Amino acid sequence: MEHNEIDIKNGIKLHKIQTDKFKTNLIAVMLTTKLERESVTKNALIPAILRRGTAKLNTQEEINKKLEEMYGASFDCGLDKTGDNQVLKFYIETVNDEFLPQDAENMLKTSLENIFDIVLNPYLESNCFKKEYVEQEKENLKQIIEGKIDNKARYSLDRCIEEMYKNKPYGLYKYGYIEDLNNINEKNLYEHYIKLVNQCKIDIFVSGILGDKIEDIIKENENIQKLKERNPEYIMPEINAKIAEQENVIQESMDVNQGKLIIGLDLDLENEDLKYDAMIYNSILGGSANSKLFQNVREKESLAYTASSSYYRFKNNIFINCGIEIENFDKALEIIKQQVEDMKNGDFTDEEVENAKQGIIAAIKSIDDEQDTEITYFFSQELSTNKLGIEEYMDRISQINKQNVIDIANKVSINTIYFLKN
Amino acid sequence: MQVIENSRVKEKLYIEKLENGLTIMIIPKKKIQKKYIIWGTNYGSNDSTFIVPGENDVTEVPKGVAHFLEHKMFEQENGRNSLDVLTALGVNANAYTTNNHTAYLYECTDNFYEALNEFMDYVQNPYFTDENVEKEKGIIGQEIMMYDDYPDWKVYLNALECMYHKNPVKLDITGTIETISHIDKDILYKCYNTFYNPSNMAMVVCGDFEPKELLEEIKKRLVENKSKGEIKRIYDDEPREIVKAKVEQNMEVSRPLYTIGIKDFPAEEKERVKKHIAIEILLNIIIGSSSELYKNLYDIGNCYSAPGFEYEFEKNYAHVLISGQSNNPEELYEMFKKQIDKFVQNGINETDFKRTKKMIYGEYIKEYNDVTDIAKMFLADYFKGINSFEYLEEINTINIEYLNQVLKNVFNDKKMILSVVKN
Repeated sequence: MEHNEIDIKNGIKLHKIQTDKFKTNLIAVMLTTKLERESVTKNALIPAILRRGTAKLNTQEEINKKLEEMYGASFDCGLDKTGDNQVLKFYIETVNDEFLPQDAENMLKTSLENIFDIVLNPYLESNCFKKEYVEQEKENLKQIIEGKIDNKARYSLDRCIEEMYKNKPYGLYKYGYIEDLNNINEKNLYEHYIKLVNQCKIDIFVSGILGDKIEDIIKENENIQKLKERNPEYIMPEINAKIAEQENVIQESMDVNQGKLIIGLDLDLENEDLKYDAMIYNSILGGSANSKLFQNVREKESLAYTASSSYYRFKNNIFINCGIEIENFDKALEIIKQQVEDMKNGDFTDEEVENAKQGIIAAIKSIDDEQDTEITYFFSQELSTNKLGIEEYMDRISQINKQNVIDIANKVSINTIYFLKN
Repeated sequence: MQVIENSRVKEKLYIEKLENGLTIMIIPKKKIQKKYIIWGTNYGSNDSTFIVPGENDVTEVPKGVAHFLEHKMFEQENGRNSLDVLTALGVNANAYTTNNHTAYLYECTDNFYEALNEFMDYVQNPYFTDENVEKEKGIIGQEIMMYDDYPDWKVYLNALECMYHKNPVKLDITGTIETISHIDKDILYKCYNTFYNPSNMAMVVCGDFEPKELLEEIKKRLVENKSKGEIKRIYDDEPREIVKAKVEQNMEVSRPLYTIGIKDFPAEEKERVKKHIAIEILLNIIIGSSSELYKNLYDIGNCYSAPGFEYEFEKNYAHVLISGQSNNPEELYEMFKKQIDKFVQNGINETDFKRTKKMIYGEYIKEYNDVTDIAKMFLADYFKGINSFEYLEEINTINIEYLNQVLKNVFNDKKMILSVVKN
């Protein structure tokens, strides 16, 4: 595997990942912009509108037929919240020519043309988006936003984040808000799109058996040529000292059988480099089957099937997640708090630290065994202040010792306890 | 070892059936760091009534034993837990239970053979006590309740209940809180000793390996265990007819979820793969993302994402499932049935057929990207009596006449059901 970064224009970067491990080529285009209350809903609508039609293929039916014709090229688009940024993501995956009949067209070139057409050359009527598409996608987005209650565990996590980041960008829901939809039309949405495409950070990832001409194919693409240089507006992660003044407890009700408990923790780190120590801390607390949460909440007390924690490195939070009997709320909370306390007191072994390191190093080693994981990794590095290559990343993890983890444990405080019950 | 090579996807399968009856399949993947091993027994939630080899009487055990066993296999003497031991080695271990098989697995980059010691040891040495069995009931109880809160799981199970009178595929894999309360260590041992015999098991490994060397390493770790003869599994005869045409359940959801089911019956063994492919092509043409029906549904605001669909089948059942979220499942269902009538009358169009066939071929190639996907696919297909490579070959034998024939036989109005979960 070989990874190269090439600046196509200021603010527009090509990431070439040359690899022959896969049957497929994967292309991703990421548009990164500041997460803001004013634009969050409009941004959320844009991928949905773009996949409806291009200047060449005017309907989604035509686009889909073209993709099927390309031996099942798969196109996907979505939205992410990465730190205080909103990321619009577009992917196209095609089978490598090597595994197709001789007469098949050059898949990599065709798929690049198609994805750039979808993102940068949309179908227009009277110089704005097609009205019918915008109205339909507004209705669809409304349904997606309303649909956030359907997965109760995911909903509980979203609610906890919303409460922890009230009136802050990260507290925004990535799909936006229903009340914004009324004022959006084909004209102002198109204006917003033009502004976005001119100002956002653009990252293009191409992974697979690429050949020498790939850079030229991209640079010569008419959609890429018409893009302007820009000083993109996006947010790099900041280390903000944060210590919750008091635990915020929120209990809400819905028609559920099982209670969903989410606990949001703050990590008060002085510098970005400590994030690696925090990964090990999280692994011991709730990141694996050996972790304190899994062992104590699940295995010892049989209180839960799910008992885990995840570290959100862009915001320096850990979220603990448990599904429990509703009446066991107090008991489960007490045991969880005890685990957080035990971590502070160094109540874990050197061996646990070594095990956690091994697990994380194994995950790092296999980053380049999956194309999308690899792209996600390089993209997250792109949004970090100190970039680490895969080797350096493993080195950094291997240096961590027990005292480092205790130091992290003592920077942890409970911010919000969220419980969804019936 | 027998070597089967597929020139289309450029992969090789090394396969060997050992004297004790265990089948081992190895798919080498050069340059990939990740190694994946999966060991399965042909024993799932459907197998709760059977005759133990050498016995005369029928044994009937509570629903959910296969899954319960899967949970308990990790526990060893002296409080040792193999999941912890494997995790400590930096490998990612897990297990799962389906209707017809139970599988134990791990993936890793390093320590493959150290992990193999523990892995093969725990799968071959169960250790159940009254205490550890009781403790697990709380954990599985929470797993059952977690599934109870998933509307997509409920709409699926309700669909199966509409289709099946007797076949246990309609039941929760986990069993219920009531059925698992009757499980004890003797039942677990009995089922273990019956179904975890090498002759009823298969192992698949995928990664950067030298197959012969790996085979020897596996053999070294096998405990002597002779085949005890055939396990007779008892299933009630399942009528061809459905149970009821519609079912509805209320849950707190934003919009209705639906599953359309079409009850079918398993094809002859040699036709299974071909029929499966034909049904995948048909479903894509009828209701896939480029279909006329989906366009119409989208335009009237009935649904905003293409329905998911699949053909599920085992040796003793087969059905089509189409699922998604819709503002009006009844309307979608009626439009779906009308569209089928139209296709049955006019036949499938040649352009659609060729394009869709290309797409499905591409999808099959893509399945060979990841060691996890490859190993899981070969294991699941093996228990159906299929070698996964067959899909890459059989697809070329399908023509439009065959497609039209399957369309008429399978997509039958009288075999269709609609399951809905809504507010």
